Amino acid sequence: MRRVGIVGAGITECRGRWVEATYWELFQMAVRRTLDDAKMKVEEVDSVVYGIYNDIFEHQAIPESSLTGLIGMANKPGTRVTSGGATGFYAMRTAYMEVASGVSDCVLCVGGEKATDCFDPRSKTATPMVIDTIAKSWDPFFEYPLGATASDSYMQMCMGYNDSYPNDIGDTRVRAKIVEMLCRQGNRNPYAQRRDEKVSAEQVMQSRWIIAPFLRLLEACMYTEGAGGLIFASEKKAREISERTGQPPIWVKGVGAANEAYAPGRGSYYKPLDRIVSDRLAAERAYAMAGVKASDIQVVEIHDAFVAQLMITMGELGFVPIGKTRKLIDEGVMADIRTLGDDKPPPKGQVLINPSGGLIFGGHFVGGSNMFSAWSLRREMINRKLPLGLVHGTGAINAVFGGAMVVELDGGAQ
Amino acid sequence: MKKEALPVLPLDFNLPREVSEVRGMDDTPCLQFSSHMVTFYKQTYGELSRFFFALREGRLIGSSCPKCKQVMVPAATWHCPACNFVEMKEVTLPNHGVLAATAPITIFPSASFIGDAPFCRGYVDVATDAPAASYLPSRLCTTTGLPRPGIFVKGTKLKLVFEDDRVGSIRDIFWVPASELSKKQLDKVPLLASDLSFETPKAPDVKHTPAMVKARDMALAAMKKLAPDVAKSPRAQKDIAGRTHVVGVKTAGGDFALIVESGKLKVEDKLPRKPDFVLVAEDPGVFSRWVDDGSLTDAAVEGSLWLPNRAAFAVLPILDRLPRSVRRDLRDAK
Repeated sequence: MRRVGIVGAGITECRGRWVEATYWELFQMAVRRTLDDAKMKVEEVDSVVYGIYNDIFEHQAIPESSLTGLIGMANKPGTRVTSGGATGFYAMRTAYMEVASGVSDCVLCVGGEKATDCFDPRSKTATPMVIDTIAKSWDPFFEYPLGATASDSYMQMCMGYNDSYPNDIGDTRVRAKIVEMLCRQGNRNPYAQRRDEKVSAEQVMQSRWIIAPFLRLLEACMYTEGAGGLIFASEKKAREISERTGQPPIWVKGVGAANEAYAPGRGSYYKPLDRIVSDRLAAERAYAMAGVKASDIQVVEIHDAFVAQLMITMGELGFVPIGKTRKLIDEGVMADIRTLGDDKPPPKGQVLINPSGGLIFGGHFVGGSNMFSAWSLRREMINRKLPLGLVHGTGAINAVFGGAMVVELDGGAQ
Repeated sequence: MKKEALPVLPLDFNLPREVSEVRGMDDTPCLQFSSHMVTFYKQTYGELSRFFFALREGRLIGSSCPKCKQVMVPAATWHCPACNFVEMKEVTLPNHGVLAATAPITIFPSASFIGDAPFCRGYVDVATDAPAASYLPSRLCTTTGLPRPGIFVKGTKLKLVFEDDRVGSIRDIFWVPASELSKKQLDKVPLLASDLSFETPKAPDVKHTPAMVKARDMALAAMKKLAPDVAKSPRAQKDIAGRTHVVGVKTAGGDFALIVESGKLKVEDKLPRKPDFVLVAEDPGVFSRWVDDGSLTDAAVEGSLWLPNRAAFAVLPILDRLPRSVRRDLRDAK
């Protein structure tokens, strides 16, 4: 396989609702910014991969068809990827494979979502309809009729974890501290949805329950409208673009993915309720391909749908032991942005987790959230001269889809 | 009305056809149009029909692999994905099982389930004798009031209950903790919903203690201070406009009543004669915290406030708004 670099990235501002733009404009805005960042003209792009999670949100079946011409991709190959919350990751994996295989030299990977045009006629608000649209991710025979929602699905997994590994994710103070730290990071992200909010651990602990005992209001990700794009290029093309931009390529060093079975169960291939096996397998595969260990990586952008899940994911990815993920706070594994400023790497033994503010403070436009994460990861690796980074995606009911991509700064930390 | 006769979408689940003006973060005027993306289905259960026919008959079935012996419940396929798709056999499953993991309680449901909250759904290990098995996604119900933490925890022994009128739906069945049932009920197969009583759950006992009496006095004082402010607060008036609720409260510090009537909040030192429902809290401090910008809903979610039914749960968000509304109006007045 050929070496593949990421040499351009652009995102829109993350908003709770973009009244001023349709998803056509959001995608085009992201593409314009991505091409600006790479100092490229759209003609240089060979093909496009679209990350769009849900036709219902976009209010169009085959929404990528109406985007194609508007983003300058007319008469070029285009592949739509949709894999739940992990849509962004799987779109990036597809773009990577297209370049690595030699099929294309330069691929635009763009994802986004228009989630909150949905409207519930009875409550006169968007939220119950957004929840219902996401709940359509469950099968119509057994799960949806029971009233399944994304929050209770992830909390089911957190409760299963807590059954097997008590005294870890259940301490609200630890989770609240993580939220406070994520908030400070989100304040530094000019595109973050909640960039102007100040949330203290105390406020987190006093916020309303969504699902006790692992999810208060301030521990949950947002519904976001926005879009993000990345340019994946072959080594030759990446070098050429890098010379133009003066920014080093970020090389894709390892990619791992795993989708667990839909049905939870005991033994065989069933999804265990106490672990996120998809995250663990994805990370192991990415590390093996990259020839690295978790301890070699000091900056990560994790798909943090909920803080308790973030803690488990950090365990599954090998940064803290499973059952003792509270070490993120107790032992200071989670780097404090206040000591790092804008350009310092974390000290040895620490990891900068979600410098974008993550999905909780930065934004969560589902089809492109992981591109948003990759945009931030690249920015931090270049600014802090961090040699390795990891971007993670998760999705589908009970977090059964998982993906991890390890990337390397050109020339390492030099 | 029979379940089949209910419309798929509630009649009020609609929007007027219109184009309206809207402003977002940039404060520039835009237009928005109301629309829908509704598709109606007559969706076949296909190969799953066997499972749902069995539910109609009052039986729970699974598919069992003759090779690896795993049992799939529900019978989601009849060809084992672990054994090169060898044909699976039908097995009738017991009417008891074990909760595979502690189950979450949903209080913020999706649009299709508004009015059902709080409810509990979880995964039940039914084929416990099989070396491997899927878990049955299930409704979990209690005869002791609304679901609350501590009832549906991992390992809880459960009994399968069938609705009396079964249509061929996963909602034809639910599970109840075995510890809440008599031996006769446990032995009955199929046990029907009409064999159980959910309408008048027994309230938990609370024993009076001096410390709690003091806490109740403090809670009463706080609520009585709030009451006149509710009458003066425009926001609070809007919250309770046209509403009448007579709520009894039992605590370990003594009883009291909260009455919402004619735009007023009244607090009385004893249980009302004809309450709409009676709440139970061991610690009366729940109500002091409510006045101090806490939440009765949170207390119910945490399990420190017992509620008999959904009607009681529906009143809590209205009560929760009152201290907040008063505080906002007082702040605006300064």
